[in-house]
Amino acid sequence: MSTRGFSLAALPVARVPGVAIVLVVLCAGFGVTSPGFATPANIANILTQSTILLLLALPMTVIIMTEGLDLSIGAVLTFASIVLAVTVIATGSPTLAFLAALGVGLCFGLGNGVLIAVFDIPPFITTLGTLGIAQGLSLLVTDGQSVVGIPRSIEQIYSGTAAGIPFPIIIAALAYFITHALLYHTRFGTYVFALGGNREALRVAGISVRGMLIRVYVFGGLMAGFAALLMTARLNSAHPTAGIGMEFDAIAAVAVGGTSFERGNGWLLGTLLGVIAVGVLRNGLNLLAVPSSVQVACIGALVIVALFIDGMRAER
Amino acid sequence: MTVVPLFELRGISKEFPGVKALDDVSFEIRAGEVHMLVGENGAGKSTLMKILCGAYRADRGSFFNNGEPVTIHDSTAARKFGIAVIFQDFTLVPYLDIAQNIFLGREFSSRLPGFIDRRRIHAEAKRVLDMIGFDIDPRMPVHGLGVAQQQMVEIAKALSQDARILVMDEPTAALSDRETELLFAMIARLKKNGVAIIYISHRLSEVFALGDRITVLRDGSNIASLLPAETTPDQLVTLMVGRPVDTTYTRPSRPTPGAVVLDVKNLSGPSGFSDINLTVRAGEIVGLSGLVGSGRTEVARAIFGADRVTAGEIRLFGEPIGGSTEISALRGMALIPENRKTQGLALARSVGDNIVLAGLRKLFPSGFFFPGRAMKAARAIIEKLRIATPTLRRPVATLSGGNQQKVVVGKWLNADARFYIFDEPTRGIDVGAKAEIFRLLDGLVHNGAAILMISSEQIEIVHICDRAYVMRSGRIVGELAHHELTEANIVRLGIHQ
Repeated sequence: MSTRGFSLAALPVARVPGVAIVLVVLCAGFGVTSPGFATPANIANILTQSTILLLLALPMTVIIMTEGLDLSIGAVLTFASIVLAVTVIATGSPTLAFLAALGVGLCFGLGNGVLIAVFDIPPFITTLGTLGIAQGLSLLVTDGQSVVGIPRSIEQIYSGTAAGIPFPIIIAALAYFITHALLYHTRFGTYVFALGGNREALRVAGISVRGMLIRVYVFGGLMAGFAALLMTARLNSAHPTAGIGMEFDAIAAVAVGGTSFERGNGWLLGTLLGVIAVGVLRNGLNLLAVPSSVQVACIGALVIVALFIDGMRAER
Repeated sequence: MTVVPLFELRGISKEFPGVKALDDVSFEIRAGEVHMLVGENGAGKSTLMKILCGAYRADRGSFFNNGEPVTIHDSTAARKFGIAVIFQDFTLVPYLDIAQNIFLGREFSSRLPGFIDRRRIHAEAKRVLDMIGFDIDPRMPVHGLGVAQQQMVEIAKALSQDARILVMDEPTAALSDRETELLFAMIARLKKNGVAIIYISHRLSEVFALGDRITVLRDGSNIASLLPAETTPDQLVTLMVGRPVDTTYTRPSRPTPGAVVLDVKNLSGPSGFSDINLTVRAGEIVGLSGLVGSGRTEVARAIFGADRVTAGEIRLFGEPIGGSTEISALRGMALIPENRKTQGLALARSVGDNIVLAGLRKLFPSGFFFPGRAMKAARAIIEKLRIATPTLRRPVATLSGGNQQKVVVGKWLNADARFYIFDEPTRGIDVGAKAEIFRLLDGLVHNGAAILMISSEQIEIVHICDRAYVMRSGRIVGELAHHELTEANIVRLGIHQ
């Protein structure tokens, strides 16, 4: 049993290898099969492309730790991205546009949280509903077309670098450390563990379970708003289908990373590794010219393999 | 000598629909004492403690804190007076560490708003753990701890909130001998610090080893307040069980027992029982008695094939079975579990649906469901068992406890079961309906069925059973023939001496 540090104490040691083994095997496999894989440029590419997914997978970890789920996170990202693009074109202010995107995330997060915490609608159903709403609004606003013509200042958020490090990686790293601090060093994080582990304990301690749950989903919405900024910058446009399926990748990354869907057993570093594993898999399959439909199937298989390894270890 | 008690309850009465749970009960607790609260199941111990900690409100009675009259409306008020209950189902968060669990909701703040001072939380937790002599790293996550350690964490949690009165309900029930010793050492330490402990126990050895005073409850009334030094175990047993016979049910004459239906030989299993030998004959109700946790339910589950068995043999109607609930059910065995709501019924479904559930294979051999046939079968059972329900379509959840129990039995009757295991068949059923359940059991054996019945209420075993086995610590410690079947005999065999 680890006793070295606070966050390590909460670490499910037995689960480390599942995702680590998968990541090592994937890297080794692609390194052998595709000459272009193990180059510095490609590795930087994988990391940069993983940033948007990480912004979604971090709050997804927190949400899943509360025995919840957010299926709407990809659709909210899409809608926030469209609102961002439309706003920046209309007003010319990237700041205002970014705030509008965050506003969209906040509204959906708050909506999800209130429906789940106050009206007791199961997270799966609630966020399936808001997924539909966000997706529908995106198509309605854009009439199914891409929103183009946004200023270069936005695009640079994705392509720019500071001290040689791409901006998206800096943003993602910041997001990771903030989430880490939230989860392991604040009251909020402590109560996240309790929301999934033993809600009765929270009630007995006089903490509002509803209030905490709402905050958890608001966090998810806000992070989707942040991710919308990166997504818009990356595409240099907003597209009403850009975020479709991203909730799948996010949930897959969390699952691969060893966070359990029960009892508040989560591990943030595992999610980071899980996101990179998903990124490596997609990148490597791209290099092998595997069609994206098959890639989705491979991510599905990745989840099963990682959890199978964890399950085998738990048996013993 | 007049000592002002730390806390006192006077003239407490509490009534539930149909049951007088407490009748004019008084109870006091003094600083630094271990006050044993004893009595049979249903004597009112739990109700009294729930009133003390604010979970229930008393109908009548008054409370005194250090001699001052006070009121307890809810658990917050009870906590204010330093009353804390060590719950059996712990209020711990598995993936937080010990220190975070102890200070859950009362974290020390760091200078940054919202952030917690981990170092201080761990240091304070260490201090509390040292106080009770629990030598463990407060940074260990709780999910890896055993039951005894989790119990210690709960106690530390209560003490960190300045508890002066700890209520422990059978704290040693899930502990090994070694863990029990550690708990007792900790209790001694707490006493020295002036903490008062209300200790509920069924184990006579504990009552005499640990108690400074003993209060006996029976049928919701104070029976006696005793000093262990002036009491013998036999006197205590007599006080606990000595009550007038329940007259709502008179046992009819039983048929002469027929062929052996169930024959269990040298059965042992990993769930905590070993070398179990028992037989049940057709037309016979056999009791399986003993304390909660003595392994009765585990034996029943193993016989039914729900739990694994490591040694021994189970024969039903002469043929070996075991390991499969489907085979047991097909051969005519039925298990009516302790918790009918979660294990015996599909609560949201209708009475009719529940009744046909276990007999689907017999009713519909083709695999297709015919509602008319199902309703006919269900109606026959409802009539036979006189289940009080307005229609077949009524959700089972809306029925009374007694009628729900009948639906569970009906389910198995419809499946042609001929050997029934009842696990606490009268749990949560009010007094009037109990007699109805007993008549139901009578009816089953009169039609040639055999019954093995588990009950924590010795009086039920005495009333209904033709003979009984008594279990203790996973073993059968005695068999009582009908003429030996008395409450005192059961208690004597079942209790740790």
